[in-house]
Amino acid sequence: MDLSRVRELLESKSYDKVADICDNLMLQVASDGIAYHDDWPYSIHLLAHIYVHDINSARFLWKSIPSSVKESQPEVTAVWKIGQRLWLRDYAEVHEAIRGYEWSQDLQGLVAAFSELYTKKMFQLLLSAYSTISIQDTASFLGMNEDDATNYVLQHGWTVDPASQMFTVKKQPIVTEQKLDPSKLQRLTEYVFHLEH
Amino acid sequence: MDPMEALVAQIQGLSSTPGDIARLHIILKQADDSLRAESTRLSPVLGQLAPSEHSLGFLYVLDAFTSGQISKQQAETSVPIITGFINACNAEQIRLAPEKFVLVCKRLKDQVMMLEAPIRGVGPLLTAARKLQLSTEHLTPLHSDFLMLCVLAKCYKTGLSILEDDIFEVDQPRDLFLYCYYGGMICIGLKRFQKALDLLHNVVTAPMSTLNAIAVEAYKKYILVSLIHHGQWQLSTSLPKYASSVAQRSLKNFCQPYIELANSYGTEKIAELEAYVQTNTEKFENDNNLGLVKQVVLSMYKRNIQRLTQTYLTLSLQDIANTVQLNSPKEAEMHVLQMIQDGEIYATINQRDGMVRFLEDPEQYKTCEMIENIDSSIQRIMALSRKLSAMDEQISCDQLYLSKVGRERQRYDFDDFDVPTKFNI
Repeated sequence: MDLSRVRELLESKSYDKVADICDNLMLQVASDGIAYHDDWPYSIHLLAHIYVHDINSARFLWKSIPSSVKESQPEVTAVWKIGQRLWLRDYAEVHEAIRGYEWSQDLQGLVAAFSELYTKKMFQLLLSAYSTISIQDTASFLGMNEDDATNYVLQHGWTVDPASQMFTVKKQPIVTEQKLDPSKLQRLTEYVFHLEH
Repeated sequence: MDPMEALVAQIQGLSSTPGDIARLHIILKQADDSLRAESTRLSPVLGQLAPSEHSLGFLYVLDAFTSGQISKQQAETSVPIITGFINACNAEQIRLAPEKFVLVCKRLKDQVMMLEAPIRGVGPLLTAARKLQLSTEHLTPLHSDFLMLCVLAKCYKTGLSILEDDIFEVDQPRDLFLYCYYGGMICIGLKRFQKALDLLHNVVTAPMSTLNAIAVEAYKKYILVSLIHHGQWQLSTSLPKYASSVAQRSLKNFCQPYIELANSYGTEKIAELEAYVQTNTEKFENDNNLGLVKQVVLSMYKRNIQRLTQTYLTLSLQDIANTVQLNSPKEAEMHVLQMIQDGEIYATINQRDGMVRFLEDPEQYKTCEMIENIDSSIQRIMALSRKLSAMDEQISCDQLYLSKVGRERQRYDFDDFDVPTKFNI
């Protein structure tokens, strides 16, 4: 079983490619008839799915892991705990699950990268969904203590109302590319012309 | 010289040019019966052939070799031989004997299932389907087997790769039924409900002269996924005119609990729906659809919240909780938040006042991305329309079709002439 490609990706921090490589490698190893279950890096594979927010694939992978592996490798179960929280949308509990385990050397980089990504995602979610939100909730969504959370959001232009312990969210204008390339316009014109004649 | 040795020599000698291979094919067809008779001593013969060079010969020998009933132990040795062959074989050669190739691949499927290791067949069957098909528009008999193994091995994402192709050519109707059914299951598992609906819709509307079990099961799932994805399902509009008359007439008779579920969903009352599911749990469980039914129940909260956005501009979390029957304002907030995250509603939550403000869809259809989207849809529709006219032309030149239509027209003319009263109102 040659996992050098996975190691390479982990070392170069190309975390978003790990899941696909693992998927393909697993199919290959399985079709070669190798008994891979005991040596397979399930925790990396599982977390790689979670990293690209493919919770469905993580869930199906978890279901396919033999129970003997789940028992003998507590780290696999710990990774799934993150996935489970995401699946149930216990937003704050995800941070707890990340912090609640002493990750092995192999996984530390990936866990840290996921944690950072998840915090950013949560911030974006709060930004899009709230106009005002309590300091306490903000802190638990971002997985920080209240002071750190306050600093974090103040940097992004939010304001705090000390009396009500509430933040007022500052929306960021979304910049999208609107400039049209003339060939597209030409094509659309042709369609319309074609339809009218 | 032993006839088997002679055959090996011929396979080795006649596997290079297309002319030679055609000659070899005739020889192999003649030798097929004697190969099967010798099936137990073919193992060394396989060793003398190279699967990549002598693909056609290897295929014939392999077919004979695997033709008998085998034990679990024997499967352990035969699975690697078949997978090795699938990976190495030359696509052009095996396409000369597609039925044999399909047969061998199906045996691989049976054997990995016997070994209770469906994942071992997933990769090889994908390779096999790709090698067998002339274009990605071609549905091979291996597609459905591949998807079934994907479901069993829980490799749903891998199954998706083949579902992204648009299919226009089908060999056997059964292939299409199973392909769309398993494909639907994979898309449901990955929560790609629109794609799942498309696939299941293909099953229930496909031409059929008698009802089949695949269509019935697909119809059940189709009803459930419609409820989850669209929040509605109506008997009258569910099957289009082009569906077979047998499907229109009798499908619903086999899916009564599901139709009643849809009716109950239509009342918009969560308690009523839950009660109905409660009393019919067993039926849904027997169909292996209980998980989907539970998703249907959950989707009703969403649907009811979505309905509120059509009436109100702002609404308190307490009111939302009351109207959609959630326990607390906090629970309502979490539901709204999830829906915002999934892009199912546009709203902002104001925690200080405990209010939700519903917004319009911010999409203005003028970004580059959207234009790109629209453009690619137009391109696809144009390609489809070209295909349709090509097929129309082909059929209107078809001898069989013309003779049938010709006869019918004559009869029609005769009737027309004979019974003019028929047209009186």
